[in-house]
Amino acid sequence: MSLEIQNLHVRVEDREILRGLDLNVAQGETHALMGPNGSGKSTLANTIMGNPNYEVTEGKIVLDGEDLTEADPDERARAGLFMAFQYPATIPGVSVANFLRTAVNAGREEAIKVKEFGQLMRRNMELLRIDPDFTRRYLNEGFSGGEKKRAEILQLAMLAPRFAVLDETDSGLDVDALRVVSDGVNALRGEERGFLVITHYTRILRYVRPEFVHVMLDGRIVREGGPELADDLEEKGYDWVREEVAASAA
Amino acid sequence: MPPSALEESRAAALEVFEREPVPTWRRSGFWTTTLRHLRLDELEPRRHEPLGSYDELSDLVRESVGPLDALSGLIVQSGASTVFAWIDPEAAAQGVLFTPLERAWEEHGELVERWYMRRLSAAEGKFPAATAAFWTGGAFLHVPPEVRLEKPLQVVYLIDEPGTAQYAHTLGVVGHHAECTVREYDLAPDLDGQALHSGAFELYLEEGAQVRLAHLQDWGAGEVHDISTKRVEIARDAHCSWVPIHLGGHLTRQELDIITAEQGADMRHNGLYFTEGDEHLDLFTTDLHEQGPTTGDTVWKGALTGSSRASYEGLIKIVKGAQDTHTYLQTHSMLLSPKAKADSIPSLIVETDNVSASHGGTVGEVDEESVFYMMTRGISRMDAVRILVEGYFEPVVSKLGDPALEALVRGRIAEKLSKAEDEVAEYIAERS
Repeated sequence: MSLEIQNLHVRVEDREILRGLDLNVAQGETHALMGPNGSGKSTLANTIMGNPNYEVTEGKIVLDGEDLTEADPDERARAGLFMAFQYPATIPGVSVANFLRTAVNAGREEAIKVKEFGQLMRRNMELLRIDPDFTRRYLNEGFSGGEKKRAEILQLAMLAPRFAVLDETDSGLDVDALRVVSDGVNALRGEERGFLVITHYTRILRYVRPEFVHVMLDGRIVREGGPELADDLEEKGYDWVREEVAASAA
Repeated sequence: MPPSALEESRAAALEVFEREPVPTWRRSGFWTTTLRHLRLDELEPRRHEPLGSYDELSDLVRESVGPLDALSGLIVQSGASTVFAWIDPEAAAQGVLFTPLERAWEEHGELVERWYMRRLSAAEGKFPAATAAFWTGGAFLHVPPEVRLEKPLQVVYLIDEPGTAQYAHTLGVVGHHAECTVREYDLAPDLDGQALHSGAFELYLEEGAQVRLAHLQDWGAGEVHDISTKRVEIARDAHCSWVPIHLGGHLTRQELDIITAEQGADMRHNGLYFTEGDEHLDLFTTDLHEQGPTTGDTVWKGALTGSSRASYEGLIKIVKGAQDTHTYLQTHSMLLSPKAKADSIPSLIVETDNVSASHGGTVGEVDEESVFYMMTRGISRMDAVRILVEGYFEPVVSKLGDPALEALVRGRIAEKLSKAEDEVAEYIAERS
């Protein structure tokens, strides 16, 4: 069971952002994808989920042998993919609870029972230390940065996907909020789930320790290793990778 | 003497009606509301026999207004005739009057004459004059000072056959520190042919009164033309929340005006429309502040499918002497079809200083990023659009503060969206 990205080329408007990217995430593993701004990290996340603004010109996205490259985002979600957005959309007039129920039911043959849904929601809200009043608010409307990220991880917990992409989930979080969100993510890790944690900084990786680290530059993966690679980056910065890559190309 | 006052008023209105041409409303050069397809000569007031009981009302009416025991009163006018009039004995015992306006002129002439057409005038044009000259049946409500009604007073104007010309007049007075909920529904089944509803609505809130007012218009798929004026006047320290809901009408031209006439008056005006097919909706609202300090907040939201047209013009007017007025107006339209057209025109006339007044208007489409976001949660494209549209309207719908009516409106919007499903799907597929 794995999410495979094969030789992915992606264009946005007239610019090629991803230029032959390969990545495998097996179920049960947590991978970190690091890179400077503009390296194509968010493009990869959006393309994995099928954002129509991103055009795949070459390569494939395969989940457990099923080619999802051309699938609509809702099909991908039902196949087991999830993304926690860096900047989630605001859905005015739709409460968190209503939205969660709709999303949970979208992935099921039969609608979830009210009682079962309530229990599931309460349990996950406790996990993420979310105030009960939160579920009555309109999704992301007037939410602080930390609330938005908690709402994203709450959806992750409720939908229980096989693979989750966390796109810069640490951005905009103070240390306390980062710890809460990270604890939540760690509680959701397990044999049945793979994670791709996309981040510019290493701070989230101190709480969510990955087994594998990939470094991205100019639309490709240029370095791969274990958690120690993140520590090197913390110390030396992206310029070090950039120089190494330039040197080996020359 | 009161009946002769009414006769005089009708005679003067008839003169205006005969003198005035059928109007065409033009706005900013490209927007026109014309009645050239209305065959006015072929329409006439239709009389209907009174019904013996609530159970004899049509399904459409009963399903819309709900059971009698949830109301303080119900008046149903079909065509030109009052077919049902009922007041809860408990409300009557508190001195509440709720009766057809024709009967009110006979039984409470002095009271009616004091208020009748205080803020309306036959001189406003051909249709206001027609209504003043020809109205029959009608509705009159009077809530005495300090009386509090829990359940709504409900008026229904029903057009149930093509060829009908309906002239409707509702007059309401809510005494000082009284509290009540008033609903007026304009309903028709899907008629095969033309009809006219020429309506007048006037409601006066005396000092400290608190009123929830809702209008629901759903004229169905027939060629119902609705030309109406609705006006609410709010006296000192009184408060009115007014929610007009427009769910359908072949051609609608309405003026909806709310007047904060005295210090401390406060109004909340939240409106909603959903147009489909080749419907044409032309709304002009005025938020008039005659004294200060007064406060107002107007929010209108609309959605359009098919090749429908909707124009909303919202004016805030603050006259000389209305210092310390604070008021806001927002209007939003959402296009759900490439052939639909919407206009949102907020405007402002301020004749005094030391006020805060702001306005804004948007015409938008379904936000693709939001659709993508929901789809990544497994929600289909069509459901995502439905949720966005329902969510877009929700802040207005929840202002009704009336669970039965809220459910009715949510249900009708969902029906209209599912009816337009193919067209909306095609539209959003084209855009993505």
